[in-house]
Parts: sequence; structure tokens; C-alpha cells
Amino acid sequence: MLNVEQISKSYGPVHALREVSIEVRPNEVVGLIGENGAGKSTLMRVLAGTVRPDSGRILIDGTSVSLRDSRHANACGIAMVFQEQSLLLNMSVAENIHLAQEGEFMRLGLLDRRRMNEVARAHLARVGLDVDPRTKAGELTFAARQMVELAKALALEQRTTAPLTIFLDEPTSVLESRDIAILFDRMRSLKSRASFIFVSHRLDEVLEISDRVYVLKDGAVVAERPAAEATVPELHAMMVGRALHSGYYREDRQGVPGAEPVLEARQLTVRGAFESVDLTLRRGEVLGVAGVIGSGREELMRTLFGFLPQTGGTLKVNGQEVVLRSPTQAVAAGIGYIPRERRVEGLVMDLSVAVNMTLANLDVAMTHNMIDHGRERTIADDWIRRLHIRTPSAAQVCRNLSGGNQQKIVLARWLTAKSRILILDHPTRGLDVGAKSEVYDLIRDLSAQGVGIILTSDTLEETIGLCHTILVMRDGMITGRLDAPAEAKPSQVAVLEHMV
Amino acid sequence: MDSPPQMPELPARARVSALTTGDGRGAGRPSWLKRRLAGMAPLLVLVALCILLGILSPSFFSFRNLVWGVANQAAIPLILAMGATFVILMGSIDLSIEGILCVGAMIVALLCANDTNTNNFGWLGPLFALLACTALGLVSGLVHVGLRIPSFMATLGMWFVGLGIGTVILGGTAVRVLDPRVRAMAFLRIGYFPMAVWVAAAVFVLALLIERRTRFGRYVYAIGGGEDIAKLSGVPVARTRILAFTLAGFFTGIAAVLASAQLGQANTTIADGRLFMTITAVVVGGTALTGGWGGVVNSLVGTLTVVVLANGMVLLGISPYVHETVQGLMIIAAVALSVRRGARLVIK
Amino acid sequence: MAKTDMVGMAPGAALSRVRPFTPVLLLVLLLLGIGIVEPGFLRAKDLSVVLSDASVLFVMATGMTLVIMLGGIDLSVQAGASFASMVVAELLPSLGYAAFPLTVLIGLAVGICSGFVHVKLRIPSFIATLATGGIMTGLSLLMEEGRSVALLDTGRHEVRWITGSIFGFPNVILIAAILAAGGMFVQRYTRFGRYSAAIGAGEPAAHAAGISVDRYKIMAFGLSGACAAFGGVLLAARLSSGSPDLASQLLLPTIAAVVVGGTAITGGIGNIGLTVVGTLIVSIVRIGMTFVGVDIFAQQIVFGGALILAVFVTIDRSKIAIIK
Repeated sequence: MLNVEQISKSYGPVHALREVSIEVRPNEVVGLIGENGAGKSTLMRVLAGTVRPDSGRILIDGTSVSLRDSRHANACGIAMVFQEQSLLLNMSVAENIHLAQEGEFMRLGLLDRRRMNEVARAHLARVGLDVDPRTKAGELTFAARQMVELAKALALEQRTTAPLTIFLDEPTSVLESRDIAILFDRMRSLKSRASFIFVSHRLDEVLEISDRVYVLKDGAVVAERPAAEATVPELHAMMVGRALHSGYYREDRQGVPGAEPVLEARQLTVRGAFESVDLTLRRGEVLGVAGVIGSGREELMRTLFGFLPQTGGTLKVNGQEVVLRSPTQAVAAGIGYIPRERRVEGLVMDLSVAVNMTLANLDVAMTHNMIDHGRERTIADDWIRRLHIRTPSAAQVCRNLSGGNQQKIVLARWLTAKSRILILDHPTRGLDVGAKSEVYDLIRDLSAQGVGIILTSDTLEETIGLCHTILVMRDGMITGRLDAPAEAKPSQVAVLEHMV
Repeated sequence: MDSPPQMPELPARARVSALTTGDGRGAGRPSWLKRRLAGMAPLLVLVALCILLGILSPSFFSFRNLVWGVANQAAIPLILAMGATFVILMGSIDLSIEGILCVGAMIVALLCANDTNTNNFGWLGPLFALLACTALGLVSGLVHVGLRIPSFMATLGMWFVGLGIGTVILGGTAVRVLDPRVRAMAFLRIGYFPMAVWVAAAVFVLALLIERRTRFGRYVYAIGGGEDIAKLSGVPVARTRILAFTLAGFFTGIAAVLASAQLGQANTTIADGRLFMTITAVVVGGTALTGGWGGVVNSLVGTLTVVVLANGMVLLGISPYVHETVQGLMIIAAVALSVRRGARLVIK
Repeated sequence: MAKTDMVGMAPGAALSRVRPFTPVLLLVLLLLGIGIVEPGFLRAKDLSVVLSDASVLFVMATGMTLVIMLGGIDLSVQAGASFASMVVAELLPSLGYAAFPLTVLIGLAVGICSGFVHVKLRIPSFIATLATGGIMTGLSLLMEEGRSVALLDTGRHEVRWITGSIFGFPNVILIAAILAAGGMFVQRYTRFGRYSAAIGAGEPAAHAAGISVDRYKIMAFGLSGACAAFGGVLLAARLSSGSPDLASQLLLPTIAAVVVGGTAITGGIGNIGLTVVGTLIVSIVRIGMTFVGVDIFAQQIVFGGALILAVFVTIDRSKIAIIK
């Protein structure tokens, strides 16, 4: 019915999808699993029509289609239910369901609101949601909104003759078990009218609802199994199994951390994100935080740098209690942050390398309370040399430099600020292999100098390879604490157990 | 080198329902009652204000005052507020009201019987004014959308272009409108109210109809609520934006005709201060400047509040010069109170 | 101005290398054009008229540059200048020279209020400044019931440092030149200048580097208020009176001076030096148009159109995903 054939997509050096082929038959639920970065979201965007693949084709009922945009995808029977809700919260349920399709409800040139609501009510009934269609979407619970999105996807039935394929992206991550049961129940009854692609990191749920399962790893399909024949451990292994190229993460340079704690968190809580986190970072230690989206790890990283103020618990830096209400205070406490969105939060792209390097600690470039451009230049040249940053000069504007070099400039900034604690948020995202290995070396250098590092990464493998200790989070709490000394690295399965 | 688009974060709101069981609406959200009250706040303020004024000045509730001091005074601001509401609902702003009004008033004055030339085109005057103002609104919209310039800059430019055109046509002096039919547009009594009030009421009904019962109305809310989502769903964003500014121009044109009729003349200051008052009215009424929330009913309440306040100050003998100061404070208070504390947005 | 260092020039690259110099080129072309059409215009006497007008405009535009660089706008400058003109006229008789710094300080305080309202109450800058502008206009009207305040004989002496001239050079030009030099110094050598540039060019990154964005934004609005007040003082001196609408025609030229000079409203790219060029262009056009006989109100049309054009050219669309 729906066939994806040999779809490939690359972003620069990163191969997001490698000749992926997937088949969705009528009246079935196909499960799709893979780690973060395995290619699930890219595949989703290709099917949604928002991203054009570099090669390969999509076939609907045997006919090749080239999806122009999301409306076209809809017309081909492909509907998306995104993880990050795509309802307009300021408008009613009925208005959301009928968005951009109101032409069907005109009477005497005006919208027939009553009929819109009636039809919406019928759509809602099909997913078993008993809600007044005039309710504003913003007033519903998350679970209810999920159902509205499902109803909206199903409403496509009326508008297209193509067979319906509904893509569900992590629908259960924040649902309570009761709601999950309801969702699955609905999906089973709806199988007669649509097929589903079900993406989730919760392998047991995937096996429960799917007929067949595809496993994605590093952008390629590595396995396809009937759900009845697969087991969770087997799927785990296929998701992560990879011959660990020893030395890739410079494990040989991984030393032993010091004893004194440089950062301590006790019962750290941010209401709505994570609770009661206990964390100790020692001198020279590389501490990894693992967890899927929604586990609270992203918020924890942000809280440790003051972006997100804590609502409970305590934080101590070098033994002194601190309250971080903004990055200004974090920087004053000696903490540095290398952000995930380098181009937005990392560097001021239109300013020079030198300016970016001294941004967190302008004092070093000041003489008599005035900016000394000569001194600044010297400092910048020094870092360029020591970190092997490839740039024509320190006056070069950052926008045109490569990702790897940009990352090094951000690092240089924190080194200029003499930060003793660094928070690295996906530090190798978007970097090519060469740049990545340079970053790994730098992390080892810093660790040897006694800088404490807290790290999150896209891949478990990288986290395990780089860190001395790994904290695992799930649903806002710490569920595991593993040691990862160089000679006895835990397996990915061991970590995954705590994550899902 | 770009990084592949990553799966976006779950909004914090979502996790709230996960971690706090029992409360289906999620912890931290004000109760249904509180939110209803917050929505009614502008109306309650208006009512309270009226009661207060009624106590302080018995003539407030006199028939004469309500018709001439409130309703008649509110006519033009209401019409302007209607146009501004659609623009603000999208999250944009229209600063060009004064310029466009000036042009419209000039055209009316100079085409109808007046004291500077021998024209006597009667109904054609207001008609051309309407067309011209609508066209100017269309230009604003095209510049904003076509050249991709933020609305405040595009309409700021149009504000001054409009003022310039208006005064160039005029030549610096005031032109008195002599055509009785035109003047009647403002003053002819039908029932208890002067024509201006009826025109404003009709405009209000029209705006309400547009907001509630047309696709354009829906799209305006969609763009204000989430432009990227709206776009993905197939909402014609560009077209809707241009139309909103054109509509604002149209409403400003109506206001221009009424203004020249009411004043009996057109001069360079006819539009002064109206932008400020219009924005105050919309904001005080509860329509959010970020878009997506509020509507023409809110603007009606807001306009009445601003007009009643001004009327009250007159009745109480407070110096008219305090008026602008008070309006400034009002607008700050209204916006500050209505701002929803969310994630760290970059407010420009 | 952004420095780029590109080896080999692709066609697009050539254009973007020229772009930063467009205002200067425009200025030169303007001068040449007017010189050809109306050579009398370039005589020293008329040139000094242009420069004097430009000086006052420049004072106001300096503050506006700081605000626009941060991505905001200050719609209260004309109200602030008018208010200041009245305040200084009122205070001169009783306080003498002390009236000048006091007036500027009042302007600073009002600007800080605008900034505070914008930053802490999260109100868009155009609304916040529209509101504070309205408040100041109201106060100006209130002070003398709508009338203006004439500078009495006692006041006339104290303003000699503004209205006088040295070696034929009107003092205002010198004052503006000093301000320009000071402004450029601040931008290049002070923390405030550096942080403002960072906040304007990349607010999230500046925030993530530990810069107190709020504080610097408030400072920028404060300085804008102070500059507007100083502009009002200069105007009062030159016109020998203060009035509530003294500067009412100056809002648009002030914004135009900044934007035409090349400062982008998206923030970051821009500096006082560019504003000098922009101010000269605007002033020449203003005086030039009057010289040639174009009505002062018609000039508004030209400026309105020029403003839009300048914004169109300088705006950096990669900064704003959705243009509201």
C-alpha cells in the first residue's frame, strides 16, 4: 500500500537515512524503533512532505509520488500525529480539525459553524473522545489533544481516495497507562480504515500493538520482524549492537577523577520536569546523563546553567551553595555551557572569533577599564593555535567557519573564562568524524586539567565511551547510576534497561 | 554544515500532566473559574468604572451624556479599533492609521462642496476616500508581505507617507466641508442616536461577522495562534495578511469620512493622537499583542472603557492634558497584566 | 561593520562587500547631485545650516541607534525632546547652568522607565515607548496648559554655549562631533558597547554567555532618553523656547537617520559611525528638498518611502523566521 524504497538523505557529512526501504500493508500497524539519531524523525519528515529525500522513491498503491508539501502528503493519504502537538491551542477542537478545509462548510457565503461542530463531533466519536467540539484545544489534557490529532488525521478519509496511513510519533511518552490502553484500543478498532506507523522507544508497547517491526540504526534498516516472533532483548540488541571501535573515544586517555566534588546537587527539582536529582561531579570527572526525550535530562542540563530555575533542592559549587537563576550567575560560579544549538546559543555569528572568545570574561581583554583590542587579539591567536582552530584570522566572522571550528571557539570562550565546570550539551552534534575526534581529545585534555564535565550526547555509545560515570534518567527521575571506567565499560543494553 | 533537524522537545506543559496524577488539566494551570474571570476582566473594569463615575458625577448616566459624551465619542475610535483588531490578532501591528485617516479626510473635504475649490461631487467624495484608504492599506500589506518587512516598520513608513500625501494635497491649511449631506453623515439623528453611532454599530456587526463567520476570520486567529502550524496545515498566510491590512485601511477610510463630517473640516491634525487611542482601546479590551487571543468584542469593551474614562475626566473637570498621561499609564497596565508568563521569549 | 575575508569573489560576494559602503556612496552622490543642480547649496553658509540641523538630529539619532541595535525601537524621542525643551526652559531662570544636566538626567530616568517597562513587564518596545511618549506629551501639555515657554533674557545667556560659534563654526556642530566621537569610543572600547553589539547580533548567545541582557537593554533605553532630552535642550536653545510639540516632526527623520545609515533593525550590525552618515544624508535631503521648494510635509512621503527601502536593504532575514 505504502512503500518507501531506498530513501536516502544526508545533511552535510551526516547520513540521516541510508537507502531505507519500508513497506506498510493495508490494515496493519508497523512499529518503527531506533535510538536517538537513528533516522526516525528524518524518515517521518520525508513522509510528511516537509523534507525532500536525496534519492529513492515513495509509492502509494504502486504509483510513485513526489511529495511537494504537507498538503500534498495529506492528499496522498499520509497523516502525521507529531510528538510535539500541532494543534492551535487558541482555537476550538472543531476549528482545529477543519483547519484550512472550511470551504466545505460554507452556507450563503458564511461559515456554517453548527455543521462544522456536528461533523467534528462525528470525527471525535470515531476515536471515542467525548468532548464538546467547541472547547478550546488549550483546555484539554494532553491525552485528549492526542486524540483530537488522531481524529484530525482520520478526517482525511473524507478528502482523499488514497489509502490512509497514519504516522504516530512517540504518542505514549507522556500518557498514563490508562490512556495508553485507550489509545491502543482505538488503534485496533481503526485498523480497518487506516494503517499505522508507530514510533516509540518503549519496546514492550511497540511489540504489543504492532504487527511488524522495523529496526533503524545509523540511518539504515537493520531488521524487520513480525512482532509475534520478536522479543524485547532481541530488539534492544539490534538497536544498539555495534562493534565498539576501541580507542575511538580515546578511552586510553581516560584517567581517574579526583576526589573532591566540584558540583553537588541534592534533591534538585524543577516542577514539571524532574524531581529529586542527586548528583556529584568530582574534579576531572566526565559525568554523562542519559535518557530519552521527556526523561528530564535536557531540563537538568539547562538548570545546571541557570536557564531553568530550580524549584527545590540545593546546588553546591566547590562547597558553596549557589542558586542559579540565570546564566549570569552560573558563569560567575565558574560554570560554562556548550549548547546544543551552536548557531543560536553558542556563538554570535556575525561577530568575530576574538569577540566571541572573550564574551564571557571581558576583563582579560581590558586595560584601564577599556577594551584593549591588541590584547584581545593576542588571547584569541593563542587559542587558535592551541586548539588548532582553522580560521583565516581572529577577526574573521564566525558565520563562515565550519561546525567543528565553531565548537572550538565556544570552548575557547569558557577556557578564557577559566570555568572549572563545563556543561556539554550534545557537543558533537553536526560534526564530521574528524572534528568529533578532536573534540574527544579536548575533553580528555580538560579532564586531565581537573575540569569537571557534565555531558549529554545523541548516542549512548558516545556517552559510555567518554564518561567516567553515567546517570540514567527516565520520566523525571534518576533510575540508574553506572560506573564506566576505561577498562570496564558497561554495555549499551545495560544502560538502556534503565532508560526505557 | 548544518545539523539534521532534531526531534523537538516535549513542551514542559505536557510533562506536567505526566508527573502529577489526578488533576486532568495539569498542575499549575489556574482553575476554570479563574480563567473565566480573567477573560471577563476588561468588562468588569468597564462596569466598575461606569458605576464609579455614576457615583462621582450624577450627570454621567444622563441620557444626553450617554448619547453625546460616550456613544458619539466612541464611534470613530470603535471603527478604527475594528481594523486594528484583525491586524493585532495576527500578532502584527498597524501604525499607519493616522496617515491613512489624514488622506481620507482630505479627499472627502476636497471633493465635496468646500470653501477652497468649486468641487461638488457629493457622494463621490466619501467613496473615493474609502477607495484611497483601502488602497493604502493594501499597499501596507503588500510591502509587509512582499518585501518581508516587519509590520511595524512597513506601517510606520506608510504612516508618514500618508501624512505627507494628506498635507501635500491640502497645502497646510484647513478645508471646511460645506456639503450638508456629508455633514449629515455624522449628525443626522435616527432614533436617539446620531448617524455616526449607527455607522459604528453597523461596522461593529460587520467586523463581528467577519471574525466569526468567514474563513478569513478563522485564518487570522490561526496565524496568531501559531503561524508555522497554520502554514503547515495549508492556511493561506500571505493572502490573509495582506487582506487584514487592506481591511484595516477600509475601516480607517470609514472613520476618515466620519471624522471630516463630524469636525466639519479637514486639517493636518485631524488624525493626531488616534493611533495611541486605538491601540490603547484594543489592548485594554484584552486582545493580546502577541496575537491569537481576543477579538472585536474585546475591542468594543476596550473602546468604551477608554472613552468612558475620557468622558469621566471631562465631567469631573480634570485637565484635558492629563488625558494623554493617563492613557499612557493605562496601556502599560493593561499590557503588563495581560502578558502571559511563558518561556523566555525574545520581546523586541 | 562586519569584516569578511574572502578569497576570490563570487557575484553575490561582490554585492555584499559593497553593501556596507552604500550609505557613504549615497552621501557622496547626493552631494555631487545637489552641487550640480544648485551649486549655491554647497556654499559654506548653507552648508553650516545643514550641518547645524544635522547636529541636533544626530544627537537624537545617537540614542536611537543604541536602541535599534538591540532590536528595539524608541517611539518616544520626539515627546522626550519636547518635554525636555519645556523643562529646561522652565528651570533655566532658577537653576542657571545646572538646568542642563538636570534635564538630561530626567531624560535618562524616563528612558530607564521605558526600558524597565519593556524588559521586565515584557511589553514590546514600540508600545512601551509609545506609552511613555504619551505620558511625557501629557506632562508637557500639563506644565503650561498647552502653551510654550519662552526663554527669558536670563536664559539666553546660559545657552550661549549652544547658540554661539567658534571661528565661524556653530557650536552645535562641535557638540555633535564630540558626541559622535564619544559614542564611537563607547561602542568600541567599553563593556556596554561590546555587550550591546553582542545582544543585538545574537541575544540568545549573549544570554548564554552570561551577559545580563536585561540590564543592558534598560541602559540603552535610558541613554536614548538622555539623548532625546539633550536634543530637546539644543532645540530649546536654538528656538529660544520650549513647547510641547517642538520636536514633533523629528521622529521619522531620527529613525530614518539610523536606518538609512545602515544599522539593521534586526540588530547587531550598526554603529554610531553609520548613523553619522545616515544623519548627513537625511539632513541634506531635508534641507535640500526645502531649498528646491519641496513642501516640508511632502518630505514625509519621501522619507516614508526611503525608510521602507532602507529597511528592505539592510534587514537580515535569517534572524527572523516569521516576519510579523
